[in-house]
Formats: sequence, C-alpha cells, structure tokens
Amino acid sequence: MKDMIKITLPLVAIFVVAGVIMSMTYQRTYPVRFQAEKKEKEEALKEMAPEATDPIKPAGTWTINNKPYEYYQATAGGRPVASIAETAGKGYSSFIKMLVSLGPDMKIRDVKVLDMNETPGLGDQVLEKSFLDQFKGKALSQIVLIKGETKENIQAVSGATYSSRGVTNGVKDAVQMLVDKYGAGIKVATQGVTK
Amino acid sequence: MSNDVSLGRLFKNGVFGENPVFRLALSLCPAVAVTSGVKNGFLMGVAVLFVMTMTNVTVSLLRKFINPKVRIPSYVFITATWVTVIDQVMSAYQRAVYKEMGLYIMLIVAFAIILSRAEMFASKNKLVPSFVDGVGMGVGFLLALMLLGVFREFLGKGSLWGAQILPAKPLLIMIMPTGGFFAMGLMMGWLNWIDRKFFGGTGGGGGGHH
Repeated sequence: MKDMIKITLPLVAIFVVAGVIMSMTYQRTYPVRFQAEKKEKEEALKEMAPEATDPIKPAGTWTINNKPYEYYQATAGGRPVASIAETAGKGYSSFIKMLVSLGPDMKIRDVKVLDMNETPGLGDQVLEKSFLDQFKGKALSQIVLIKGETKENIQAVSGATYSSRGVTNGVKDAVQMLVDKYGAGIKVATQGVTK
Repeated sequence: MSNDVSLGRLFKNGVFGENPVFRLALSLCPAVAVTSGVKNGFLMGVAVLFVMTMTNVTVSLLRKFINPKVRIPSYVFITATWVTVIDQVMSAYQRAVYKEMGLYIMLIVAFAIILSRAEMFASKNKLVPSFVDGVGMGVGFLLALMLLGVFREFLGKGSLWGAQILPAKPLLIMIMPTGGFFAMGLMMGWLNWIDRKFFGGTGGGGGGHH
C-alpha cells in the first residue's frame, strides 16, 4: 500500500503539473490563434473574389462528409460576382479542406487548400500551383480525375493519386452544390460541354 | 557517458559518434517519412532539436523525483507536454512557420530517440550535460535528415529545397518510402566506410528501432 502511494503520487503530480501548464498555454494562446485564424479566413475569401467590393457574407451551410461547411456570395455593388464554398475531400491520410470559387458562368475561378495532413513529399504535392491551376475555368462536367496527360480534365499528380482524388472530389461536390443553388439559368450550358 | 566527459565531446558524440539516425538507428520511421525533401527534413529536424532539448532538461531536473517504476509514462508525458506547448504557442504567434511545420510537431511525442535519450542520458546526468546531449543529438538528427533529404530530393525530383536543378526526375522511386530505405542503407554504409577508411573507426550501426 505504501509502495503504491510512493509510485503513484509523483506520477500524478507530474500529470497535474503538466496539465496545468498545458491549459495555461491554451488559455493564453487561444484568443490570439482564434483572431489570427479569423483574419486568415477573411483574407482567403477575399483572394477568391478580388473584385468583390462588399464584405463577403455567408449565404448558408451545406453538409459534406457529415460535417457542415459554409458557402458565400461575393457581390460588387449588390451584383453577384462569385459564389464561394468551403469544402473538403478525403485524401490519403486526412480531409483536405478547401475553398472553391465559381464565377457567374458557373466555371471554376480558383481553388485554394486551407488545411490538410497529407504525406509530406508525396501527398502535399497537390498544393502545387501546377495541379491546382488545372481547375481554373473548368465546368462541372470537366472535373474528372485522370491518371495521365489531359487538358480537358484534371491530371492526377503521380505518386499522389489519393490526395489528388481528395481534392478533385471535394471541388466537384462543392461545384455541384453551387450549381444546384445558383446555376439555374446556365445549367444547359454546363451540360453542353459534356465529353 | 559519465559526467567527466567534456561538453564539447558530448556534443560531438550526438552529431557524429552516436548520430541518432546513422549510428543509433533510432527514429527511422520519421527519418524515412519526411526526408523526401530537404525542406521537410530541415523543419522536422528543428522541431525535434527543440523538443529533445526541452525534454532532456526537464527529465534531468526531475530525475530524483520520478519513480523508476513509472519512468516511461513520466518521460512520455513530459515530451507530450512540451510538444503541446510548442504546438499551441507556434499556432498563435508564428502562423507562417506553423503552417509549414504544424504537420510534424505532434508526431514527435512518439519518437524513439527522445524517449531513448531521456532514459539513457538525462535520467542519469545533471542539467548542463543533459542540455548539451539534447542539443547534440538534436543537431545530429537534423543533419542526418537534411543529408537524406538532399540525396533523395535531388535524385527523386531533380530539385533542392523546392528549386528545380535538373530538368527531369532521375529516380522517382527515391521520394517514395521504398527509396527512403535505399537512401538510408546506402548512406549508413557510406558513412561507415568513410569512418573506417579515414578515421580508423570500427563502423557499425546500432540496433533497430522505430
């Protein structure tokens, strides 16, 4: 019994002190982190629609992978210039969180990766411009991942197929959702380019 | 590894004599996983250097207090505390660095090399030698990761630190995990060969741990 206390007490003491240190750090850093993340998000949204003059406001939430994400309408003087959606796709080792923006013609304007945990050196190659820029100007029907050379569709990064698929699926779901919500007038046009 | 060894030699021991990757063969999992690029290796190395030093210092300070029967949970918890603190402080004040390094920091909790230094050195030595041992081992780990990174990134992608040098990718397999083992084995062999040929050493790596 005495032995048990002698062993347990120092261990508990270490756990308690460590716990206090960690919670104190959390308390100190959380507000700073929260502010920084908020600011980064605003900046990221602005980047997705640079010509928007009005503040970009959430238009609603949608669900993908059982998690709620927001979507936004960017306007300039009351006229819509872009629809932006937060989205995520399952990569190799994480959910890849992204922002996707569509122009009024329902074609992709930009894709930006916000957060991911893919394998360094392999999966994180999907962050490269050469991969992400492929999405620009593509319509919903063109967002198909292909292993090999393609101009019409999206070419997977060799060695990072799962991560490429994660990005592509996330983007596709977001575009589908935005087209369903805002694309009533131009649906025919997007179907027109089906290959 | 007693207290009469000079601090300079202690530092050199960590970098060369008992290099964590090439000599002790510890923490090979991360060494293979992140060295597909020089930059990744460098960032991971810096994070490990930091956590290793802090853990060694803490364990050394608490070495009389920690009950030997429960020392492993104590060490792991100390490491986890430092990793968490670093992760939180960095995520708040160093966003740019955190975005690059955030991936690696949390992994360090389970690194064999950190636990091994706490057990083998810090728990038996005073504060200053433990600090020097932590820094030496950390620098040794950092250099080893960068060396592997240079080798693998150059052969696998034809680039260094992200900057394209060769127009092609000579050996794509080198950035795959398979290539990591090749690179590690070759590098270990070369270093042993150099050690034997020029420095009269006996070569030879340590055991094998994750």
